[in-house]
Amino acid sequence: MRATGQWKAFIGAAAIALSLAAFGAAASAQPAAGVVRVGTDVDAQSLDPRLQRETTGYRVINLVYSGLVQLDAQLNPVADLAERWENPDPRTWIFHLRRNAKFHDGRPVTAADVVFTYRTILDPALNARFRSLYTPIDAIEASDDFTVRIRLKEPYAPLLSYLDLGIVPKHLVDGGRDLNTQPVGSGPFRFVRWDRGSRIVLEANPDYFGGRPRVNGIEFVVVADNTARAQALEAGDLQIIQSPLSPRDIQRLDRNQRFVHAALPGLGVTYLNFNARNENLADPRMRRALAMLVDQNTIVNQIYEGTDQVAGSVLIPSLAWAFDASVRQPGFDVNAAKALFTEMGWRPGADGILARNGRRLQVTLSTHSEDPSRVQSVEFIQNVMRQAGVDVRVQVTDWPPFNTGVQQGRHEVALLGWLLLVDPDRLLYAQLHSQGSLNWGGYNNPQVDQALERGRSALNQADRAAAYRDAARILAQEVPYYIISYQGFHVFTARTLEGFRPDPRGYLRSLAAN
Amino acid sequence: MLSYTLRRLAFFAPMLVGMAVVVFALMHVIPGDPARVLLGEDATPEAVANLRASLGLDRPWPVQLAAFFGRLAAGDLGRSMFLNDSVANLILARLPATMEIAILAVLLSVLLGVTLGVAAAVRQGSPVDVACMMFAQLGVSMPVFWLGILIMYVFAVELRWLPSIGRGAPLPDALWAALTGNPAVLLDSLSHLIMPALTLGLTNAALVSRVVRTSMLEVLSSDFVRTARAKGLRRIRVLLHHALRNALLPVVTVVGWQFGALLGGALLTEGIFGWPGLGQLTVNAISQRDIQLVQGILLTFACVFALVNLAVDLLYCVIDPRVRLG
Repeated sequence: MRATGQWKAFIGAAAIALSLAAFGAAASAQPAAGVVRVGTDVDAQSLDPRLQRETTGYRVINLVYSGLVQLDAQLNPVADLAERWENPDPRTWIFHLRRNAKFHDGRPVTAADVVFTYRTILDPALNARFRSLYTPIDAIEASDDFTVRIRLKEPYAPLLSYLDLGIVPKHLVDGGRDLNTQPVGSGPFRFVRWDRGSRIVLEANPDYFGGRPRVNGIEFVVVADNTARAQALEAGDLQIIQSPLSPRDIQRLDRNQRFVHAALPGLGVTYLNFNARNENLADPRMRRALAMLVDQNTIVNQIYEGTDQVAGSVLIPSLAWAFDASVRQPGFDVNAAKALFTEMGWRPGADGILARNGRRLQVTLSTHSEDPSRVQSVEFIQNVMRQAGVDVRVQVTDWPPFNTGVQQGRHEVALLGWLLLVDPDRLLYAQLHSQGSLNWGGYNNPQVDQALERGRSALNQADRAAAYRDAARILAQEVPYYIISYQGFHVFTARTLEGFRPDPRGYLRSLAAN
Repeated sequence: MLSYTLRRLAFFAPMLVGMAVVVFALMHVIPGDPARVLLGEDATPEAVANLRASLGLDRPWPVQLAAFFGRLAAGDLGRSMFLNDSVANLILARLPATMEIAILAVLLSVLLGVTLGVAAAVRQGSPVDVACMMFAQLGVSMPVFWLGILIMYVFAVELRWLPSIGRGAPLPDALWAALTGNPAVLLDSLSHLIMPALTLGLTNAALVSRVVRTSMLEVLSSDFVRTARAKGLRRIRVLLHHALRNALLPVVTVVGWQFGALLGGALLTEGIFGWPGLGQLTVNAISQRDIQLVQGILLTFACVFALVNLAVDLLYCVIDPRVRLG
C-alpha cells in the first residue's frame, strides 16, 4: 500500500513538473530591453587581450577594450585611444593618446598602460599566442603621460594593422586582478558576468569616450551546434548569428524574410600546404601538376555549397588595396597535369599509377577531422588524383596531432586554413619567407624573400601592393601554397535589429554607435 | 547495509587511482602537443619549447604523474592550461547543470518507459503493444543530436512554447524561489530544462520500456500473480503492487548502467541546447589535450558513476526484500 502511494506521489510530481514546463513562459528567455543576443559556436578561453586565442574572445575583447587604433570594416586603421600618430622615420612611430579615455574602474588610460600592455605581450613568459606579430618592436616607451613612442628593429609596415590590441590597466594587473576572467578595459561595453560555457554578458559603458552606445548591452550565448544556433535565431532567442554556419542553414535562413543576410568576403583562406622539403614535392613542376588536379569549383560549389569563393592566388579580395585578379595560380586541368608528369619522367605503370625509375608516385594528403567539409575535400582530391595516376593516401586525425605534424614539417600535402588575415604580411611573411617562423614546408625563393621584405618595409601602400603582387605571381607559379578558396563570412541578423553593420572579422563595434 | 556501504566506499580510492593512471597514460599516448594547440598556428618553435617547459610537459612522464598525485593528495586537481582557471572551479561550476539534465532525464525515462512497458505488457499483441514497441524501436535507433534538433524545432521554433537555448536559475535555487513566493523563477528554470532532459530521456525511455515489457510479461505469468487475481484483488492493485514491483528490479539495473550513458549523451545534448554543463567542457578538453582538465572531469564522472551504482545496489534492498547485502 505504501509503495503504491509513493508511486502516485512520484507520478503526480512529475506530471506537475511537465505541465509547469510546458506552460512555462517562453518569453522568459528574452533578454532585458535593448540587449542584443549574439550566438557563438565556442566559449572564450581568456578575456585578457594579450592572451586571446579564439573568435569569441576576439569579439568580446574588441567591445570591452580599446586599442591604440581600431580597424574599420575595410580594415583601415582608424583612431581609437590614439587620436593621431606620426612616423618621423621608417623605424619610429609616435602615438598621441586622447586624454578623456577611462578604464571601466574610472582611472584614466595613460601611456604607461600602453607600454605595459606591449612589454608584457612581448615577454616570452606570458606565452601569448600573437607575440610574434609584435617581435619587430625593439623598444616601446612613454614620452609623457599621453605620448607613446615605438622603436622598430627594422621598418615594419603591417604594424598599424596589429595595434588594435586591447590596452590593459597596469594598476589592476599589478594589483593581482585576473583579466582572464574579470576583464577591465576602456571600450564601449563593460564586462558584467561570464557563465563559463554558457554566456558572456556586457553592458553599455556610459562613460565611453566615444559616447554611450545605443544598445544597453550585448550577450554572447554559446551554442556549439551550428544548426541549433540557426534555430535559436529562428525561435527569436538570438538576434545575430555568424559563420561558422552549415550551408543548408544558410540557404534556409536566406529565404526567410525575418532575417537580413550579409555574405562578406572573409579574412580566411582554405589551402593546400606543400612540403617543399619532400623529395617529390621539391620540384615546383610537381606542385603545379598536383595543384592542377584540384577541382576548386566542385569543392567550393558542391562540398562547401557555395558559401566560399574559388580562390585565384594568395592575395585575398578583402584586402582590396593589394588584391589583383590577374594573378592566377594554376586552374583545374587534368591534361596539363599529365603533360607535366610526363615532362618530369613519370610514366603510368600497369596499375595506372605513375612511376619513375621503379618508384611509384605516392603522396600523403592530410587534414583534421573537426571540419567534415575538409575531410570530404581531401577524399575528393584523392579520387581525382588517383584517376590521374597519383597514389594518394589520405590521413585524417583530430587537430592536435595534425597541427603538430604540420608545424614540425612532417606532412607532405596538408589541407588547412588561415584566419584573420588583416594584412597580406599576415599570410605571407612568416609562412613563405625562407627565414619565416611558420615556413613549415621549407619553401625557399630569394626573389619571394625580397618581395616580402619590400612589402614589410615600404611605408607607401602602393609600393606595398606592388611588392605583394610580385610575390604572388612567383608563388602562383611555384605553388608552395595552393589556395583552394577564400572563406566566405555569413551573418544573419533579425530584421528588427537596427544600425548593425557586419564586419568580416565578426566584430560588433557597430553596436557601439550612439 | 552500513558496513557494505563503507566497504564499497573504501574501494573508491584504489579505483580512482587506477582510473587516474589509465587516463594519464592515454593522454600521453595519443598524439598531439597541447602546447602547440594552445599557441595556435602562429607558434614559433621557441615559444612552444618555452611553454612546454613552463607547463612541465618537458619532464619525464613518471615525474608528471607523481606531481599529479602529489597535488591530488593535497586536494588540488590542478589548473586548466587553456581556461586559466582551477580544474575544481571549472568542474564545480558545471557539474550541477549536467546533473540536473541527467537526473531529470532519468525521471522522464523511467516515467515514460515504465508506463509504455506496462501498457505494452498488459495489452500484449494489441495495437497498444505494437505502438509502444515501435516507439521503443524508434527511440533506441534515433541519434541524440538529431532528436534534439527535432525537439527544438517543434517546441521552440514552430510552437514557440519553450526557449530554444540556455539555462534558467539552478534548480535548487529555483525551487527555493518558488517556495518563497516566486514561482516564475521555477517556471523559467523548468522551461529551459525540459527539452534537453527530454532529448536525453527519450532514448533511455525506449530502452526502459522494452525491459519493463519483458519483465512484466514474465511476472504476469507467474503463480503469485495468478493467486492474487484468484483472491479477487483489483486488477490495478495486482498490476502495480504485485507485478510491477517485482518487474522493476531489472529496470533499476538498467537505469543504473544507463546513467553513465546519459552523462555521455549529455556531451551532445548540451552542445545543441547551449546548456552549460560538463559536456562541451569535456569535448573541448579532450580535443585540445588539456590534460589536467580531462583528468579532473573523468575522475568526477567515475565518482558519480560509482556512487550511482552503489545507490542502485542499495535500492535493490528497498525494492526486493529477498536481497540482503553483506
